[in-house]
Amino acid sequence: MIALSLLQLLVIAAFAPLVQGAMKVMRARLQGRPGPSAVQPYRDLAKLWRKESILPDGVSPIAIVAPGIALGVALTLAAALPLAVPGIPSLGEIVSLIFLLALSRFALGLAALDSRSAFAGMAASREQTIAALVEPTLLVALLGAAALGRGTQLSALLHLPFGLAGLLAIGAFFLVLLAETARVPIDNQETHYELTMIHEGLSLEFSGWQLALVQAASYVRQLSFLLLAGLLLPGGTAWTLAAWVIVFAALVTVVETLFAKVRLFEVPQLLASAFVLAAASIALRLLGATL
Amino acid sequence: MTLRLFGVGATWGVSLLGAWLAFVAATHGPATLVSIPAAIPALALDVGVTPLAAPFLGLLAMLGVAVGAWCLRGDRPVDAALISGFVAAMLFVLVARSVAAFVLAWELMALVSAFLVAADHGRRSVRRATFVYLVVGQGGALFILVALLLLASQAAGPAFSDIARSAAALPVGIRMAALVLALIGFGSKAGLLPLHFWLPRAHPVAPPGASALLSGAMLKVALYGLCIVAFELAAPAPTAWSIALVVIGTVSAIGGVLYALVDHDLKRLLAYHSVENVGIITIGIGVALLARSSGAITLATLALIAALFHAVNHGLFKALLFMGAGIVAKTQGTVDLEKLGGLWGRLPWTAPLFLVGCAAIVALPPFNGFASEWLTFQSLIGGFRLADPATRIVLLGATAGLALTGGLAAACFVKVFGVAFLGRSRRPKQSHASEHEQERFDGTTLAQVLLASACALLGLIPALAVVPLVRISAATLGAPLSLGTAVAPLAALPILPIALVVLPAAGMLACLALVAHRGLRRVPTWTCGSPVTPSAQYTATAFSKPLRLIFAFVLRPEHRRLVETGPSSWFPARIVYQIESRDLIDEAARRVGALALHAARRSRALQSGSLRLYLAYAVAAVGIVVVLARR
Repeated sequence: MIALSLLQLLVIAAFAPLVQGAMKVMRARLQGRPGPSAVQPYRDLAKLWRKESILPDGVSPIAIVAPGIALGVALTLAAALPLAVPGIPSLGEIVSLIFLLALSRFALGLAALDSRSAFAGMAASREQTIAALVEPTLLVALLGAAALGRGTQLSALLHLPFGLAGLLAIGAFFLVLLAETARVPIDNQETHYELTMIHEGLSLEFSGWQLALVQAASYVRQLSFLLLAGLLLPGGTAWTLAAWVIVFAALVTVVETLFAKVRLFEVPQLLASAFVLAAASIALRLLGATL
Repeated sequence: MTLRLFGVGATWGVSLLGAWLAFVAATHGPATLVSIPAAIPALALDVGVTPLAAPFLGLLAMLGVAVGAWCLRGDRPVDAALISGFVAAMLFVLVARSVAAFVLAWELMALVSAFLVAADHGRRSVRRATFVYLVVGQGGALFILVALLLLASQAAGPAFSDIARSAAALPVGIRMAALVLALIGFGSKAGLLPLHFWLPRAHPVAPPGASALLSGAMLKVALYGLCIVAFELAAPAPTAWSIALVVIGTVSAIGGVLYALVDHDLKRLLAYHSVENVGIITIGIGVALLARSSGAITLATLALIAALFHAVNHGLFKALLFMGAGIVAKTQGTVDLEKLGGLWGRLPWTAPLFLVGCAAIVALPPFNGFASEWLTFQSLIGGFRLADPATRIVLLGATAGLALTGGLAAACFVKVFGVAFLGRSRRPKQSHASEHEQERFDGTTLAQVLLASACALLGLIPALAVVPLVRISAATLGAPLSLGTAVAPLAALPILPIALVVLPAAGMLACLALVAHRGLRRVPTWTCGSPVTPSAQYTATAFSKPLRLIFAFVLRPEHRRLVETGPSSWFPARIVYQIESRDLIDEAARRVGALALHAARRSRALQSGSLRLYLAYAVAAVGIVVVLARR
């Protein structure tokens, strides 16, 4: 079983940069640009991996190990999804995965503050702020199965009856996905203007193979979240899941094309509405409405 | 020196006694050890152990050992001696099994700890803090006394076993009254909102060893009091009270962490985090009571395990963090985050140990905070299947609130560790004498090593605590003992922390190996071409600004900006930017306090000093008693 989930981890890790590249192409086409090749992220990672790493003077070992922790967390998330196997019993558990995601943010946030750069510190502050607001929504949106008494395993989400409650949950989860994968309207991956970056700002002081690790971590996390969104929707076969991933990836690029990034202090409103959706979804299930 | 050695020896001795009593309590169940009869039966002193006291006794023993080691070097000798008395008084509370014994022990604990809070009594703020601490403590004790007397008056005797026997037969009204009084009394001592305001004043001013015990142990002793009233003396608790407990716990958790987030005094911030964690423990107790009253005994056991485990864990990591803060205060001369920075290199022992405490308090795997917060979440989510729809919605709210608390706590400790320990020192001149001394390994370091290893050990192998806690909770709730494996979360817990951190740990090692293999180039931080100065780093105020603005409706920050202009108004000579968030309840308490003092001043008129007037008072009092007694 461990071998199977390791295989799953490798497959997700292998495809994660392709998904990132494909989303870039899709968005470029929507905006009337030719865009880069879909395999560009692989080339970028390979190039960065060969380069030396440079860190600011006098940083602590935390800044050295933080990229490794971030990638380890993302890979654990990928291994925990109930795809190849019904999920390693104690790993694919919703609450613990949320604590796990906090581990990677904690390490990257400390590394950012360690770098002595105000921009990195600003990014760490904003990342923690948004994470604190996202966490309740993420948890509540994924608790649909638990509300029906089926426990907090991710695998319990697979056979959930889909109705209004499911629809509300996926709406909430979509907004969480935008926040967690650093997408417009909450963040912007493409920006190189320091005052507006959040997730990109965290990796500002990393370079070379360390930057490759940080970027690989965010690609793997992105694909894992897309897969998680697919699990919330009806289907259950590998093909429907792949279809849902494509649909969601397309949806993200459409949102990125149609909307502008909102001001930082409007993000809470957006996330609050996501929380209301998630809470309404679970309240429907808790109160026993079988809509 | 003899006084110090006496203090350390006595603390260790009491800790050993506590460990033995914890063992007896966990394995032998309720037992009376000593019973001292009195001429008036109500004053009989009973001493004994119950399973419920075992985790608290165990925590006290562990903290006693660590704080004893701390006192070998840290704190003044007289404080070391007082600390041993404080530990003994807390032990006495935990084994008191009759009303008189409990109240006596409680008052002893309050008194000894007040001396510790007042240790630095030369400062006015410390004297004020001690005063507030005593007022709230004595007010709370009064509520506890009334609650216990109310219960004892309906029972066969003042021993807790007598009260427990007659509890179920009591009218709901009396049980409810006793529980509400107990919640006010114990809640004020435990630091639950809205009676928490003494805590951020009193805990930071005590010597570090005493702060560690105040936050780590005394708050838990107060929660133990709440537990014995709820699970034993006034059981079963009405649903409305249990729901109130969950709501108050959630509000305390969120409120505590919000005020911690905007506070930049390291010690006060840690005190606010105690409010948060006491809230989390209270949620667990509330869920256990709710589940028991609806017959879900397995869930009740799970929730009680979560609450007791988190009580132990919070005791360990909070003591560790207060000790770290004590070292920072001693070596740097300040605990203001805005003046710190770059302590990682200067405190090679304290910094990594403090990091362990930070990771544990924000519940990162694989540390002990994760195991117990995870269990708390599991019991809340398990409560979604309780019968009452209102209960379900409250538990849903508590789940979301707890998740928010977790996120805010993570933000707060990234701020604390990142600003104080990482980066570069923010002070222009190295002013403090001992700042450059290399940190050496001594008793204070040993204490932190002990606590940090306990945090890691209980996190990696939670079974060490959970196995005895299953027994203890089952015995407290009257559940079957064989339930350990029947509870799904408990079955998953042993491998969970390790499974979660295998890959991150591998990534960490891979990074270290890569650096060793391929090297690392170090260059100055890029600051857009300007010279790198410490003041260019992000500050604690700036770090918490987004959350301060988002939660401005609670925190009500007040800005003060002062610009001093030089010869040209375009180039200010100096800018002072201050921001302060006022704790709303603290303000309200201040007003109430002022009113009370005013009333006391007015009532001085009664004390004229005239003998005849006093005789008249006495006659009137006797008259009233006679009239009342005749009825």
